[in-house]
Amino acid sequence: MVTNVTNLSRSGLYDWMAQRVSAVVLAAYFIFLIGYLVFHPGLDYAQWHGLFAHTAMRIFSLLALVALGAHAWVGMWTIATDYLTPMALGKSATAVRFLFQAVCGIAMFAYFVWGVQILWGI
Amino acid sequence: MLYALDKSLSSEEGFAEVKACLTSPLAKLVIWGLLSALLYHLVAGLRHLIMDAGIGETLEGGKLGSKIVIAVSVVVIVLAGVWIW
Repeated sequence: MVTNVTNLSRSGLYDWMAQRVSAVVLAAYFIFLIGYLVFHPGLDYAQWHGLFAHTAMRIFSLLALVALGAHAWVGMWTIATDYLTPMALGKSATAVRFLFQAVCGIAMFAYFVWGVQILWGI
Repeated sequence: MLYALDKSLSSEEGFAEVKACLTSPLAKLVIWGLLSALLYHLVAGLRHLIMDAGIGETLEGGKLGSKIVIAVSVVVIVLAGVWIW
């Protein structure tokens, strides 16, 4: 059982589920966006702006942004706790890992706020 | 990527600017690189979901699955390259 204090939900099973659910959301969003771009070769500003101004698209984009934060957190946490360990780094491992996770957390928070600003600014 | 999205949605001029920037060969190569990483991650992730469902969990299934992932990824990455250029 995962008991590390820095994992997303304090439960390995819930983290596992969050990773899968966010993966499905991100896959749907990415495939939709690529599909849209493939089927609109001569895309102009009005079409592009109209797509992101649509309420459904805003909700979808915001959902994908939340999913990206959760997905990236679970993924980076897994990497950090697998490789940034005392076995690999010695005594400073906890400090290095905490710093790494802090940078990841700030980056995800910044992307989220920035994304909301873009989506709601148009 | 977010910066490009912001600029492309901010105004008509911003959209044209991003569009012009994306026509340069270097920008296309960078986009292809990013897209390739994302496509491989997507295909490998789909394999994870399929294996979560209990399909291909044996040693032979795992080996075959990893080969399928690489083959499918190569095909979609090449297709992405064709689309970009």
